[in-house]
Amino acid sequence: MTPLKTFLTLITLMASTTFSTAAPEYDFYICAKVNRDYVIGSKVETVNGVFQRTDEGAWVHQGYNDTTLTAVAFDPRDRNVIYTSANNGLWRSLDGGKHWRICNDWDMTEARHVAVDPNAPDHVYLSLPDGIAVSTDRAQTLVRRENGLPERGKYTQLVTIDRTQAGRAFAGCEVGIYLTENGADSWRRVLETTDIVNDIQQSPHDPDHWLATTQSAGAWSSRDGGLTWSPIEGVPRAHSLYNVTFDMTNPDRLAIGSWGLGVLTSEDGGKTWQDRNTGLPEPQRVWRVGVDPSGRLYASVHTQTLFYSDDFGRTWQPDTLKGSLVNYFVTMPKSKQ
Amino acid sequence: MIFSPRGIIAAALGALSFVGSLHAQPSFEGSLPSREVIEDSAERRAAYLARIDEVNDWHIDLASSPGSEVKLTFSTISMLLQRGEQIERCNRRMLELMDPEMVRSGPFWMFPVVIAAHAGRDVLSAEASASIREAFRFKRQLRGDTENHWMMYYVSLYLMSELYPNEPGESWYTGKSSEENLAETRGWLIDWMDITTSIGQGEYNATHYVSEYAIPMLMLATYSSDPEMKQRGKMVLDWLFAELANVTLEGVLRGPNSRVGDTAVVERGRTSASFLAWLLFGNTPPQPAHGGWPVYFATMAKHYHVPEVIYRLATDRSEDILQRDRARTRRYWRYSDQHMPPIYKTQYLRNDYAVGSHQGRISDPIQSHVWDVTWREDDPRGKHPTMFSLHPHDSGKVMQMFFAAYPDSVTGGLLAAGKPSYVEPDKLVGSSPYEKVFQDLDTVIALYDIPAGTDHERVNGFFSKDLRDLIEHESGWIFARGGDAYLAYRPLADYSWTPHLIYRGVPATPGQGYSYERDPTGSQVLVSPHAKNGTILQAASVAEFASYEAFQQAMIALPLEFSLEPTPTVTMTTLRGKQVSVTFGEAPIVDGTPLDYTQWKLFEGTHLNAEIGGRKLTITHGQLQRVLDFNTLTISDTVTSGK
Repeated sequence: MTPLKTFLTLITLMASTTFSTAAPEYDFYICAKVNRDYVIGSKVETVNGVFQRTDEGAWVHQGYNDTTLTAVAFDPRDRNVIYTSANNGLWRSLDGGKHWRICNDWDMTEARHVAVDPNAPDHVYLSLPDGIAVSTDRAQTLVRRENGLPERGKYTQLVTIDRTQAGRAFAGCEVGIYLTENGADSWRRVLETTDIVNDIQQSPHDPDHWLATTQSAGAWSSRDGGLTWSPIEGVPRAHSLYNVTFDMTNPDRLAIGSWGLGVLTSEDGGKTWQDRNTGLPEPQRVWRVGVDPSGRLYASVHTQTLFYSDDFGRTWQPDTLKGSLVNYFVTMPKSKQ
Repeated sequence: MIFSPRGIIAAALGALSFVGSLHAQPSFEGSLPSREVIEDSAERRAAYLARIDEVNDWHIDLASSPGSEVKLTFSTISMLLQRGEQIERCNRRMLELMDPEMVRSGPFWMFPVVIAAHAGRDVLSAEASASIREAFRFKRQLRGDTENHWMMYYVSLYLMSELYPNEPGESWYTGKSSEENLAETRGWLIDWMDITTSIGQGEYNATHYVSEYAIPMLMLATYSSDPEMKQRGKMVLDWLFAELANVTLEGVLRGPNSRVGDTAVVERGRTSASFLAWLLFGNTPPQPAHGGWPVYFATMAKHYHVPEVIYRLATDRSEDILQRDRARTRRYWRYSDQHMPPIYKTQYLRNDYAVGSHQGRISDPIQSHVWDVTWREDDPRGKHPTMFSLHPHDSGKVMQMFFAAYPDSVTGGLLAAGKPSYVEPDKLVGSSPYEKVFQDLDTVIALYDIPAGTDHERVNGFFSKDLRDLIEHESGWIFARGGDAYLAYRPLADYSWTPHLIYRGVPATPGQGYSYERDPTGSQVLVSPHAKNGTILQAASVAEFASYEAFQQAMIALPLEFSLEPTPTVTMTTLRGKQVSVTFGEAPIVDGTPLDYTQWKLFEGTHLNAEIGGRKLTITHGQLQRVLDFNTLTISDTVTSGK
């Protein structure tokens, strides 16, 4: 099966209602910063960056050692084409990580996120502290595409692509969620928020179901493809909500990672939420949550380590990568290369 | 989240200072430098070269002592290579340092290596040179997140790409060819120069970080093969040092400062700026072990010297200096309508003291210093010759304005990153949105309107151990003498005293950042635990009054009215006869006219003048004038008639 067919199969599976457990046909990656006290100029160095989980459960470092990676994305047609967002901007490898290139010029820095449009895989979206840059040629060139974003307030934490339509994407910005339906030629605000949008995710089960979390403006849900949004009443606003994730094995299971609230989960599609911090270190400072293709829930606990739960947060076990901060979880169809 | 490791160099300096203590450091441990102005240019140059030699000799000697376990650093290697000494030792050490396990990432690693690469381009072995080149292939270098990081990063990559032209992207960690690297680095550098010469410097008047600009610019001026970039480097050096000369008091840089550390904000002479003043002007002692990073300036310093007009600015305080200048904040990523809003600086320097301030706003979130009066001490070593107040503000959300980080964790990492005081209520560095400052000559009115629930609802005032005859007068004024200056400090709300505690770095668990202990210094902190608050400061020369009592009586007699509710406001007549009315959040009124900062030029004053957007600085002293014109990349010197 070609990588593209594999990817399309994934899309089909995501649209179905339930996944089988322990699906071995997926690769699972994280972006992690392991040496927590690194500062510019420091002699402290350990291994950081992209890690792939083996079938045996170990984490294997991939590519460059970079303390500053915020996200990783792959070309769905060719797993050798890898993009990472980082302090220097956007890095791209065309040969599976052997060689890398900084794709941006000096006027883009401290990239927050990178995404590839699965239906237009040459199109790459780079989220920046001062806006959004887009490439239509696999990041050979990057241009600002900010028409419709405010002059101030366009700090962009991430751009999440709608997997059902080429050129349709949502940007999580300082003052709300912005939608493009034309490959970032223009943006319009679909949700105004009082604080920065930290995460936007599309359900693997229902492409019209979207969730978003913010720094101090609560969590939000959309059931109409992101055109209108409603606050999720069961999630407090008093604490930063860093990210949200769906469980690809169960459409009713959702999880939020929060500084102050730790792990919150829902097992009824978001109607009710439970505190799932028993067994995690105090205080409740969860940097990211993620769910792997088998339904295992992960929580990256600030200055601690990665924890996992096979009962969706009721009990936790420490994983490896002590001292790590996981910035990003990625599930991809298993590479055949 | 990344911060520059001032603490790293402090720790290294600690070790170096200990070793150095076995080794006399002439200018630091010896008598004060003569402050007599050297009239003859050849003698000035000779004295400058002697100071450079002293730095190089001391460090080379330190690394060459029998039994010494000190290994060659990049700075010592560069010094030796330029002298053509111990070449084989340098080759061996360079190969050790370029071992993949030893190669580091980031601009603080890059610039020392690039200096050594250029210093050794004709003398290092082919193997050693190739090892440096190879490190720039395999090691991903982080660009950092502040202007000084980018300055060091881009100059380093620029000069390495010049040294190795026409090489493909595969041979550079950037994945870009030499020519692509040159285009990117040159683009940033010229953009920074355009901004700085148009609307001012972001990291202005920095006590330590001045060297993180001066060193890269000297690298350009010394090593670039492009005449334009070489010229730009020289011109920026003149620009930086003209301002340094103009706002130092016998080599001591005082406030305001975009960046300053917890020690340097009180021990004003213990800074990289003082090292540069010593090296360039010879008018103050240097730091112990020459301060760490600034040593790299000395490795190249023979390729530059300040023109006479700048030397005169630094060494002549026979007439008062008044400057009203603009700078800019560090860039605001978010939570503001402005990207790099202006800083309006007032600098008033006299022979015995200097008063400086900006209008009060968040300039740098951690290390800025808004205002002070600093008096002249014949020997600044170990002295705290300064007085000021501030709101000790900290905020995760304010940190987010400047950094791509979350508010919850960003402040907690500062201790480990070498910025230990940020969240402490007794801190003495930092700026606040709830502090507004007005200055007219040697009068400062600082007003505070701190919202309930803000960290921290208090005002700190610094009172030096080196003050004499301190009097808490029943009038509400606190009087003191600092050097040959009389000082009057008026807290507008109740206060108490706490000991000033300095931060002392101590060994930390490897990989766990930095740790500190705190020691009393003998200085005091005035703590006024009121959210609506204010400070009035007036300075004067001892020579202006018949006695200390006469100064006090003059101050008490000044018309003064103030209130703190609902908004802090002060109306007074200054010692200089100005009628001023200052209300928090409103334009100050001086002799009936509101102060309009928007009309301020880039530089306007006694010695430095430049228009906003002009990219041209005129430096004047007496009959001497130098014009730095970045539009034409020309340096023009003129001498006017003395008649």
